[in-house]
Amino acid sequence: MGFLDKLMKHLSPGGYAQPSKQAAKERLKLALTYDRGGLAQGTIEQLRDGIIQVIAQHLTINEDEIEINFDRTSEQDRLIASIPLRMVPRPRMKGGQATTTAEKTPTQSSKT
Amino acid sequence: MAGRVITVTSGKGGVGKTTFSANVSAALAELGKKAVAVDTDVGLRNLDIVMGLENRIVYDLVDVVEGRCRLQKAIIRDKRIATLHMLPAAQTRDKSAVSPDAMEKICAELRSQFDFTIIDSPAGIESGFQNAIAGADEVVIVTTPHVSAIRDADRVIGLLEAAEKQQIFLVINRLQAAMVRRGDMLDIPDILDILAIELLGIIPEDESIVVSSNRGELAALHAASPAGQAYKNIARRLLGEDAPLMPVDEDKGLLKWLARLFKGRAL
Repeated sequence: MGFLDKLMKHLSPGGYAQPSKQAAKERLKLALTYDRGGLAQGTIEQLRDGIIQVIAQHLTINEDEIEINFDRTSEQDRLIASIPLRMVPRPRMKGGQATTTAEKTPTQSSKT
Repeated sequence: MAGRVITVTSGKGGVGKTTFSANVSAALAELGKKAVAVDTDVGLRNLDIVMGLENRIVYDLVDVVEGRCRLQKAIIRDKRIATLHMLPAAQTRDKSAVSPDAMEKICAELRSQFDFTIIDSPAGIESGFQNAIAGADEVVIVTTPHVSAIRDADRVIGLLEAAEKQQIFLVINRLQAAMVRRGDMLDIPDILDILAIELLGIIPEDESIVVSSNRGELAALHAASPAGQAYKNIARRLLGEDAPLMPVDEDKGLLKWLARLFKGRAL
């Protein structure tokens, strides 16, 4: 989508004012693509789990806020995944020594 | 020459299958063809009351299937048009009383006796629908310009193609020209783009349909009814004539587009 189109869409929340039949046509095309089979029930969940698994191997992610959606218009079909990354705590400087809270492990005095 | 068995179905309920079946049968009969309309909506029969023949039922489809009477006895001849007939459904049974095999046998018999057998299918895609299409040579799908009806029509088309019914045609019912012009109703090219089957005809929204079914009369027999005229034109197209798809509409643009689309195309 071009920049100007994007801007227009943001200015009017429902999409730029279009006659309702255009919405009907687009929604029907999307619904029929699902109905005609491609996607079985639960496919989106499987996709989600698969994506989480792969990305979590490399990055820390916030699993609860992942969004996976189809974005279909008459021009294109997209699968859009939005994956928030969890902030890794910054290492803290203490008296010249860099320590991270995560690394502090309590030492136990053990009896002999 | 063997007759044609045409099933009228839709998926979605209430889009006008029964009204279509009744009126197109009547229009064909008025054009001199021997036509029978068959109600397969066992348990929820309506073809009889729409045609104004509800008081003339003695035997019905299930009586024929179960051997209580011969097919001839169950068929009602309309007193208004000599070549128009109707085979009613049973009201006190359900669709399990009829099977696709039974329907194929009945359709074979009807095919040999009538020029046109118009089978009014129930809504849905279950056994009633399966019974209704079993003996069909051609299938007409009735839809309205609404998302729900079109979605259901698409599903039915898929089922018909899987059942290897190759002659499938679309009728778009209850079209409102003003809403189409305003862009608030899906128009013919939109619907054909989505469903991608051949268009048999279109019928405009028309109050005279309510009035005529109130009276048990058939709009196709009344010159003053726009929907009635649309049914007549569809009947003529079924006979291979190059008839206009709907009566003259104020929107010349729409009519011109239709003319271009159907130039030289006869069924």
